Amino acid sequence: MWHKISWRLLKHELRRGELTIMAAALVLAVCAVLSLSMFSERLQAGLMERSAEFLAADRILRSRGGEIPTEWLQRAEEEGVASARRITFNSMAFANGDMALVDVKAVTDGYPLRGHLEIAEEPFTQGVFAEGLPAPGETWVQGSLFQQLGLSLGDELEVGDMTFVVTQVLSHEPDSGFSVFTDSPTVLIHNDDLAATGLIQPGSRVNYNYLFAGEPQALQRFESWLRPQLDPVTQRWQNIQDGDSPLSAALTRAEQFMLLASLLGVVLAATAVAVAAQRYAQRNYDAVAVMKTLGGRTGLIARIFSLHLLLLTAASVALGVLLGMLLQAVVSWYVSAQLGYDLPAAGNGPYLLAIGTGLLCAVMFSLYPLLRLMKVPPLRVLRRELTASGLSRWIHWGLAGGTVFLLMVIYSGSVILSFALFIGGILAMLILLGVSRLFIRASRQAGMQAGSSWRLAMAGMQRRSRENSLQMLSFSVAVMLFLLVLALRHELLDDWRGQLPDDAPNYFVVNVASHQVEPMQAMFERESIRATQLYPIIPGRLIAINGTPVRDEVTKEERDDSEYREGFGRELQLTWQRDLPAENTLREDRWFEPGEAGVSVESQVAERINIGLGDELSFRVGGNEFTVPVTNIRDVDWNTMQPNFFMIFSPELIGEMPATYIASFYLSPDRRPELYQLFRDFPQASLIDVEDILQQVRDVINHVSLAITFVMVLVIAAGGLVLIAQVQASLEERQQELVILRTLGAKSKLLTQAVSYEFIVLGALAGLIATLAMEVSIYVLQTQVFNMPATLHWRFWVLGPLLGAGVVALLGWSVCWRMLRQSTGQLIRKLS
Amino acid sequence: MSLIEAKSISRNVATTAGELQILSTLSVAIEAGEAVAIVGASGSGKSTLLSLLAGLDLPSTGEIYIDNVKLNDLDEEQRAILRGEKIGFIFQSFLLIQSLTALENVMLPAELAGTKKPEEQARELLAKVGLGERLTHYPNQLSGGEQQRVAIARAFIGKPQILFADEPTGNLDSKTGARVEELLFELNREFGTTLIMVTHDEKLAQRCDRILRIEDGRILEQAHVA
Repeated sequence: MWHKISWRLLKHELRRGELTIMAAALVLAVCAVLSLSMFSERLQAGLMERSAEFLAADRILRSRGGEIPTEWLQRAEEEGVASARRITFNSMAFANGDMALVDVKAVTDGYPLRGHLEIAEEPFTQGVFAEGLPAPGETWVQGSLFQQLGLSLGDELEVGDMTFVVTQVLSHEPDSGFSVFTDSPTVLIHNDDLAATGLIQPGSRVNYNYLFAGEPQALQRFESWLRPQLDPVTQRWQNIQDGDSPLSAALTRAEQFMLLASLLGVVLAATAVAVAAQRYAQRNYDAVAVMKTLGGRTGLIARIFSLHLLLLTAASVALGVLLGMLLQAVVSWYVSAQLGYDLPAAGNGPYLLAIGTGLLCAVMFSLYPLLRLMKVPPLRVLRRELTASGLSRWIHWGLAGGTVFLLMVIYSGSVILSFALFIGGILAMLILLGVSRLFIRASRQAGMQAGSSWRLAMAGMQRRSRENSLQMLSFSVAVMLFLLVLALRHELLDDWRGQLPDDAPNYFVVNVASHQVEPMQAMFERESIRATQLYPIIPGRLIAINGTPVRDEVTKEERDDSEYREGFGRELQLTWQRDLPAENTLREDRWFEPGEAGVSVESQVAERINIGLGDELSFRVGGNEFTVPVTNIRDVDWNTMQPNFFMIFSPELIGEMPATYIASFYLSPDRRPELYQLFRDFPQASLIDVEDILQQVRDVINHVSLAITFVMVLVIAAGGLVLIAQVQASLEERQQELVILRTLGAKSKLLTQAVSYEFIVLGALAGLIATLAMEVSIYVLQTQVFNMPATLHWRFWVLGPLLGAGVVALLGWSVCWRMLRQSTGQLIRKLS
Repeated sequence: MSLIEAKSISRNVATTAGELQILSTLSVAIEAGEAVAIVGASGSGKSTLLSLLAGLDLPSTGEIYIDNVKLNDLDEEQRAILRGEKIGFIFQSFLLIQSLTALENVMLPAELAGTKKPEEQARELLAKVGLGERLTHYPNQLSGGEQQRVAIARAFIGKPQILFADEPTGNLDSKTGARVEELLFELNREFGTTLIMVTHDEKLAQRCDRILRIEDGRILEQAHVA
């Protein structure tokens, strides 16, 4: 029987719109969390898939110690994991009486396991998907080798003891990687021809790579079987999740930021739920008192109202899920269209997160008002002033705080981070609350000097100062979040976009001989190609720091490491410059004086191997060894598509040594077919196409910008709901005042003005506080999280208060206007 | 023993100025079928007496019995059940539940008590109070007099032994008040209910069997109406 009463109450309340705010807040929270988390999960999975294409596999086992036992491959097959082998080594290739250093790649059938090869008839033209691999006796080679050896299709190419026929231009390999300095053109052959080349001899430097691909679970099983058997020195298991892609790390950070920002939106929505639930409970005090008077037991009444809220929650969550799925589908469709590939489907995680968030918010934020409602004494039917008693407000704060903290932990995945955020949030709230009260008191004094409608407005604000300072707090938080997201979106994206403009360099040219530097510069100028300067490259090794030798190569031999310092463990590409290159900034000290011998070190490297100004570094370059002091430390922006260097010497030291040169340049995609002609005169130079990598970076930036916009909309909507809920909550009190003032003869124009002024002042003050809080937050984010220079946002000091005043006045007025239009008689009847 | 019996009850409340005695050692007995009016000035303690006799509140000292059940021994829940079984209420401000229709408001006490299919009975009662055509109206769509008539129908649905009425015509104009008054006594007679009514209205009080006049928390006089 009780459920019928519950259902009836709900039906009518819904029809009257009393529960709209609460339902809307829940729908919003669920919809936003679902669509956002689903979208980022799909995006992440999409990038993973793409990353797998960059590896040509899901997992790679790299072995420098020769072939792996065949039983390992058998095991993979048993687990349902596909495998292929890729052997790479450097060798000389001969054709047309000329020779070049090439990267021979011998692959077995099935390669590549992820992504695809593309082949073309002409070098540097758009290729088509290749089916299969070069037939025995044939080879596919990269465009730059055509350029170096003057090849044509059908020509013969000698590699070791074997002569291959060049049948295709290899225009795209998924696993070409990106290493500007070590790339030689690829010569792709079938594994069956490898033995005939006679190039695999004991002691030759050969990389054995075993590619694996399959279902995640099968891979997982195989991986846990295999890992313990790997030799840590010569064998390396590579996983796309191992953070090989800096993009995936950046995306993870962005995603975390976004989830936390959306959590703030959720907290705002939960606040709206709490305010609406409180008002709802208060409106039902009489109903509960009557039910108790008429014989209803508390347990029964609790069931009636709990079911009531449960039905509302279930309906709101369901609607939220539906809208979230819809929204997510639209966004994904848009993104897929932009990216040119379909995003993989999401798992159940986002659903659990969204539904869990909705239920938690609904239950935990409405529990206290509900408990209070059950405490209403039946005597209220005779003594109307009686309300619920005997329930500490601490329960409310405990429940709300606990829920927010729990959500923070779930969203951030870190207890420590949540704790810091939580404590910071509480402190910020207390400060904001204090400031709000101060402002309200000050405005009251100012208002007393003004005209009567102002005085009335300020008196109203003062009278509701406790509610108003809470209201102002949530307005401020809403406006602040909005401004914050707006400013961050603006700055982050501008910053990223600024680094990667549409015409960012998309090709590198390496191995340019010194006598070709000037002709190449002239060619760039003649063809109107925007290129960086040509930087000299001299290979060398860092051998000692302040006289202490550095650990160099990984070796199997045991040795006492204590007398060695951390070094690079590999050859470095050194350069020399007279002036500080653009895109580099000096962190400490000064650039080289003319005639001074010194080295400039990149700041992250300096930190990693623990060197500072004045340290003496010893290098071996060619046959020479020399020692130089560190003259300065540089910050390098690695995201720019420019040649960047760890070590830059003053010209005095290595300026005379033999060098090859490197530059990067931008060539619009429609001019791509010209490449072959343009570089025909520079046969030794190699071209590296980084358009794919650029595109991937741009994709990520676009996704992040879309997601930030999305979070912004969420925050605005949630803030609006809080505002409406709070104005509605104060409506009854306002009605009472209005009746008294009207009865005393106040004109309706005066009352309308007073209400408007009150909201305008509240909003403007909230906007001002919000701007202040936003500046502080942005300062912290810029300096501590994003490593960007701190900036002030003068525009926002105007925008914040204006926005606050406008939005708050508009929303407040829209809730109150009906009340203001009612006649005194109507109002009195409503109140009685 | 009488249907309702209060023995030496007093009611004190704590205020900022110290303890305030609203009722002081008051005793009263009401027989089944009797109609009793409690009259007195504002603040004399008549509503407090009503709340104690109806079991909405407990006295600070003294004992109250309804149908031989000692209210002092019952907790809030047990008193609610007792009210549901034996008592009906009518209030000055009607106190209908705004989210329920007239019909649903009348059905509410029966539903809370777990009565099966109370709709038929509720319809009959609403027809009896002249609102047979306004079953699906919500309280805010009804006039004050109509709302009070719904409240009367609600009060009688559980066939209560005792009906408590707190200023039942206090919020109504005299013409509407007279109609409501007529209806109340008519149903009271029909159902054989014991009526205890707080009122300012001397004329209304005169229609009862007995008048308890209260002043400063004490019964000043008990007059039987001829």
